[in-house]
Amino acid sequence: MQFTQKSKEHLDACRFCWMCRHICPIGTATGLERNTARARALGLSLVARDAIEYSDDIINNVYECALCGGCVEDCTTGWDPVMFTKEARQIAALEGKLPEYILKMLDNLDAKGNVFGLDKNADLTKKAESLKASDTLFFIGEDASFKTPDNAIEAIELLENAGVDFTVLADEPNSGYSMSFIIGAVAETKAVMENAAKKLSAYKTIVCYDPADAKVMKREYKEWGIELGAEVVTYTEFLAGLIKDGKLAVKKSDMDFTPQDSFLLARELDETDAVRDILSACGNVKEMLLNKKATVLAGNLLMNEYMPNVMKMVAENRWVNAKNMNCTCVVATSPAEYYMLKSVKPADMEILTIEEAIGKCL
Amino acid sequence: MNDFLFDMIATELEDAVGRENCSTRTIDKITHSVDFFWLSRMWADRGLRMPEAEIVVAPKDAQETSAVLKIANYYKMPVTTWGGGAGSQGGALPVCGGIVLDTKRMNQIHEFNEQAMYIECGTGTVYKHLEWAANERGYATMHYPSSLTCSTVGGFLAHRGIGVSSTKYGKIDDMVMQMEVVLPNGDIINTSPCPKHAAGPDLNQIFIGSEGTLGVMTKAQMRIYDQPESRKFRAFLFHNMTDAFNAGRELLQKFKPSVMRLYDEAETASLIKKIVGVEKPGAFMNIAIEGVAEMVDLEEKILLQTFGKYGAEDLGSEYGEKWWKEKITFFYPGHMMDLPQMFGTMDTIAPYDKIEKIYWEMKKAIETNFPMARFIAHFSHWYEWGCMIYDRFIIDEENVPQDPHEALRLHNDIWNCGVRTALANGGVVNDHHGVGIKLGRLMKEQYGPAMQVMEGIKKQLDPNGILNPYKLGL
Repeated sequence: MQFTQKSKEHLDACRFCWMCRHICPIGTATGLERNTARARALGLSLVARDAIEYSDDIINNVYECALCGGCVEDCTTGWDPVMFTKEARQIAALEGKLPEYILKMLDNLDAKGNVFGLDKNADLTKKAESLKASDTLFFIGEDASFKTPDNAIEAIELLENAGVDFTVLADEPNSGYSMSFIIGAVAETKAVMENAAKKLSAYKTIVCYDPADAKVMKREYKEWGIELGAEVVTYTEFLAGLIKDGKLAVKKSDMDFTPQDSFLLARELDETDAVRDILSACGNVKEMLLNKKATVLAGNLLMNEYMPNVMKMVAENRWVNAKNMNCTCVVATSPAEYYMLKSVKPADMEILTIEEAIGKCL
Repeated sequence: MNDFLFDMIATELEDAVGRENCSTRTIDKITHSVDFFWLSRMWADRGLRMPEAEIVVAPKDAQETSAVLKIANYYKMPVTTWGGGAGSQGGALPVCGGIVLDTKRMNQIHEFNEQAMYIECGTGTVYKHLEWAANERGYATMHYPSSLTCSTVGGFLAHRGIGVSSTKYGKIDDMVMQMEVVLPNGDIINTSPCPKHAAGPDLNQIFIGSEGTLGVMTKAQMRIYDQPESRKFRAFLFHNMTDAFNAGRELLQKFKPSVMRLYDEAETASLIKKIVGVEKPGAFMNIAIEGVAEMVDLEEKILLQTFGKYGAEDLGSEYGEKWWKEKITFFYPGHMMDLPQMFGTMDTIAPYDKIEKIYWEMKKAIETNFPMARFIAHFSHWYEWGCMIYDRFIIDEENVPQDPHEALRLHNDIWNCGVRTALANGGVVNDHHGVGIKLGRLMKEQYGPAMQVMEGIKKQLDPNGILNPYKLGL
């Protein structure tokens, strides 16, 4: 098994270091020693030294990571467990060692255009088809199109009410986020991204509903050298702009809102103010202890396909964080976290999407 | 053990804790076979596999722990308790195979008692999570060791851990109220509801520091404290170590700072220069004072007067604040000694009349007998009567044998030399990292016939010797 020299250096640094144990949402949820950056590094470092095989067992461990980057953010030295974990997935793909559950997701993507293997939502398709052509595209993304389509429709209606001139594609291409997550930087991932970029380059502006898509379009396309002839804007950034410009007239209420920062926004895109600008226009922002760049993942829909019980525990833990700070109304900034938090919502707590939070204050 | 019998035992364990909480997966066995002990790391670095457990089990509470221990006792299988696995003494290594009992499913916060100022939690709780739970309600645990983020409550209790604010708030054994413990025979007991009493010897103190050899601690009430109204730092540079010890000793007769750390000239010129940025020669000392603002101001005045008497150069608050901010940075890979170097931290403790002599004697012994080794030291965790030393030896790659067996031999020779020198001059085997398998052989040299007290307790509680064999010299 051949890791790049860079990955090997990071593996060797992390294999005996537990300093980021506390921040890992998976390890905290499962309590399993193997769900640490250190355990993953130790296992892979022994594989690299031919002490053990790159077996199903080790590969499954590689897929138990959410790639949320909490460990990377926490590391004072700058070691990067996400990098070698992604590379290990890529190697598993190249060596034909992908686990069955990953192959099934890839098959689904091939057959249905999404890893979940679901059919398109008729209402969302109808809604998209009802919109006029525009040079501004509202990109819904895989998670929301197939797992939270009602929220996507509500978001479209919010933009319509704000008088935004935009369109939505009924046959939206896959951005490549899920491919990047499950098999990393392989040629097939690049091909999916290139296909998306080709279709999306027709637009002047792309507003991404899901931070996951914004992240791949803004960062990974560039890393691959894929040209996207459009400006990519996050949904939160776009809404904050509409409120600032008075195009979305919200009335400040006395409600408390707690943002659940998506790690994709906070850590990958360095965006933490937009959601706070929106929520402070609608009411009061009441923070959890771990917020902004220190946010803790509340769920991942791709992992929910193959380790649903763990994802449930991850979301439950985030509710405990909220409850401990008397934060009763949490506002999710990604479809995945909204879905997971809602699935285990305590009776005395409330979970809202951004559009729902704004809707309460229009 | 034959496969048939192992499968029989495994199904019994699965029945006790749930199939999903038992594992024979390679990844689980490997990750529970290497801790922070230099030898286990070196072994893995050389591409060798450390001794592994046959099965890893994760009970959720005392009842399930009890069931596991009853099974283990029946089959006479070794049980090694694993918290965070971040210990440096090999205490959590399953050197005899058998069962690794991972405590991290016991991570619940059971009670938040603001009247008695404690949090009752499972001992598998990562200490940083306990700190966050306290912070969310406006309190703090005040236990801030370098392994705060990776070690568990039970791990710190098992080897008598300590944090950087210990001078004011104490060691982990000062921070615990009542504990729930599962004895090797599976009985579940509770220690006294209060840590101070006259109802016989203190049961807490029998299990704290026992490193998993006498029972499995499953629940503990850990003290919490108000966040200090004020926390001030002051750094100093002393001309020599003698002045620093005298100044520190005198200060502690007047009041207790939270942090007191003195670095010898060699460590000041290396680690402190690198992390904190102090360029001048001398012995760097950092002091933190905290609590009610008015008292902090007064204590700062006393500090400056006292240290001034000993010719300490006042470096102001900046270096101390930087040190506080970076206090854990020292321990990330890339910031301090690491493989392929060989290194060790021989922490020992002694009264003030002996501590400086121990420092010089250990330095001489290491540097004379092992000229390829560098020796650096700092002094943390100060009391009215004495303080502890972190004596470190470091050997660069070119002088470290590549053969793992030869490397092990050299490593143990240096440890024998250093710890025996400490013992000969009035120190103890260890201050707060514990004993583990690294120093077990030296326990009898320290205690002599007193060791029979510990051996007697061990024999009575664990007649089959299943709990953490070959650790603590038991």
